[in-house]
Amino acid sequence: MAYVATRGGERAIEQSERLFREEMGGFDRDRVEEVKKSLPYLIDRVMGEASLYDEDLAALALAQTGGELYEAVLLLRAWRTTQPRLQVAEPVEQDTLFTHRRISAAFKDIPGGQVLGPTLDYAHRILATDVLQGALYAPDPVEPADTPSPAYQPSVSAWQSENDLLDPPADDPTKSNNIPDLTREPLLFPSKRAHTLQSLARAETGGVLALGYAAMRGYGQAHPTVNELRLAEAEIAVTHPDGRQFSAGRVKVSQAEVVDKKGEKLSIGYAATFGWNEVKCIAAATLDLNSPGAEKGSATEEEFFLYHTEGVESSGFCIHFKLPHYVTFQSSLDAMRDAKAKKAAKAPEPSSSEAVGQTKSEPAE
Amino acid sequence: MSLSTLTKPWEAMSYGFLDGSAKRELRRKMLKSVAVPGCQMPYASREVPMARGWGTGGLQVSLTLVNPQTCVKVIDQGADDSVNAASIRRFIAQVAGTPTTMDTLEADLIQSRHRIPEEILREDQVLVLQVPNPEPLRPVQPNMSIARQMHADADYGRMWLQLYEQIVRSGRVMQGASYPSLVNGRHVMTPSPIPRWDVPKLHMARHLTILSAGREKRIFAVPPYTRVEPLVFSDVPYKVEEHGHLTCTRSGTRGFFMNEIPQDDGSSAFEVSDSEWGVKTIRARDGDGESRGETWYKNGEMPQ
Repeated sequence: MAYVATRGGERAIEQSERLFREEMGGFDRDRVEEVKKSLPYLIDRVMGEASLYDEDLAALALAQTGGELYEAVLLLRAWRTTQPRLQVAEPVEQDTLFTHRRISAAFKDIPGGQVLGPTLDYAHRILATDVLQGALYAPDPVEPADTPSPAYQPSVSAWQSENDLLDPPADDPTKSNNIPDLTREPLLFPSKRAHTLQSLARAETGGVLALGYAAMRGYGQAHPTVNELRLAEAEIAVTHPDGRQFSAGRVKVSQAEVVDKKGEKLSIGYAATFGWNEVKCIAAATLDLNSPGAEKGSATEEEFFLYHTEGVESSGFCIHFKLPHYVTFQSSLDAMRDAKAKKAAKAPEPSSSEAVGQTKSEPAE
Repeated sequence: MSLSTLTKPWEAMSYGFLDGSAKRELRRKMLKSVAVPGCQMPYASREVPMARGWGTGGLQVSLTLVNPQTCVKVIDQGADDSVNAASIRRFIAQVAGTPTTMDTLEADLIQSRHRIPEEILREDQVLVLQVPNPEPLRPVQPNMSIARQMHADADYGRMWLQLYEQIVRSGRVMQGASYPSLVNGRHVMTPSPIPRWDVPKLHMARHLTILSAGREKRIFAVPPYTRVEPLVFSDVPYKVEEHGHLTCTRSGTRGFFMNEIPQDDGSSAFEVSDSEWGVKTIRARDGDGESRGETWYKNGEMPQ
């Protein structure tokens, strides 16, 4: 009998993928368009976590994975790997953001005004079950205000630093081409400021929320006040080889400034991401606010939260436990049995029920 | 001279999936890791079309090292036909056009998860080990920046203490796989979770071993003819798994690392973990010719 163990694995993995895809069936451009049109906030979230701004590709990734978010983000990140970095855009200043929504919880009114913009904040969360009975869900049209709010507004922190309530971060003279790029360099600690903000921008929303919420509840030192939350569009300004600057288009971005009120001056935390994702920005800014001086190993320490909110890494490692681990398991069994035998040989009347493996557990492999 | 003579036609992806700048970084980091054996070199680690934790570190190294002539073998837990090994092998062959093999002796590059093959590797072969956790200090210091400082200071006291505590508590070192080992007398590394059985194969080996953790973004290496010494106390010798006396129920081979297969009657059967070694043994038994190479272990013992 020949021991032909081969090929079995290859056939099995092919069929298992077919089984997964069978439920969704084939799809075409129309489905991708439909996903893009009907789920803009999901598209935004996926683009942010993928750190790749392309609504069509994000919709394609969602259609191709049946909405398995971690898989969709991984698809986009892996696609991103194949793309060269052609250009680095100019840094975006806050007062050049084309603003759709901008609110501050710190002041009743702010220069430029509170602009509510699009939000579900005050919607009554009632499921529109009549749609299932055949009714059409037709939202009422928006009635424009008499005077439109200004499209470009300064940040609230700019006013605060003018009034000596806040020390603005030192000017960073780094030219855009030299800004450290997390996708081309490893993240090391203490982290470069650019790496920290880039990590938070591409962090997994749920992970950032969990750790940010822990900080908000009291596991952090700073309690956030939302200084400013903004949904906007940013102009991507790139420089042509002949020296002219031009716009390569606009991308949706969101940002949050949160402040802490301890001491003589405000301290500030900041986060921004591709797409409109308010929860992520507030939670990430809260982590940023809490990180200076945080104890090593605490949830608000930079190394802790940046490593553990990286969605592609954390989800990948989590599902890798499905892989066979029988070699390492065998190796541990051998040590366990030997320890047990040693113990039995030593004790004249063995009490076999006693546990052997009380050593500190090995890290996951 | 025109633009078209300077450029190549558009392609959906680069040869071997990774773009030139990613490969360049990996080559530089590999050279560094060879220059300082056992020292972890951080690298950017690109996302590849496989989930993190599924061999993405090994894959990036393999994709950087291969050319269309490189004969590639991929194993998981010693087996070529394991589903993830099959998936990685198919991917490398697809994006790099490499020939593939299951024969350890035929392979130029072996990507492996958790095993070193039983046949001795040669100078012209490269072993790429997939690494889940590159940091041997993790159990005593989970913070990577502190651990990095400890390596710089060769501050391994807590490592020794941990081993000592295990001996006091359990009568022996309880470390299963990934036994911490001193490389070239300087850096303690985790040899990826290969079983203790495989660690002595790295010591003064003829081949180059590159260990790569994609998720954790670290590369380290054991260059050829480099000392790899498991951390042991002088009065408590290093012990590999007691597999030297076991016989494979499928192939009849004896004296190699085995997989234990629980049986319905409460007993255990054993199967050789290096599946290709099992296949070769069966072929030899059936009179299909001898294709087995020299092995590291002889009669279940590693010669000193």
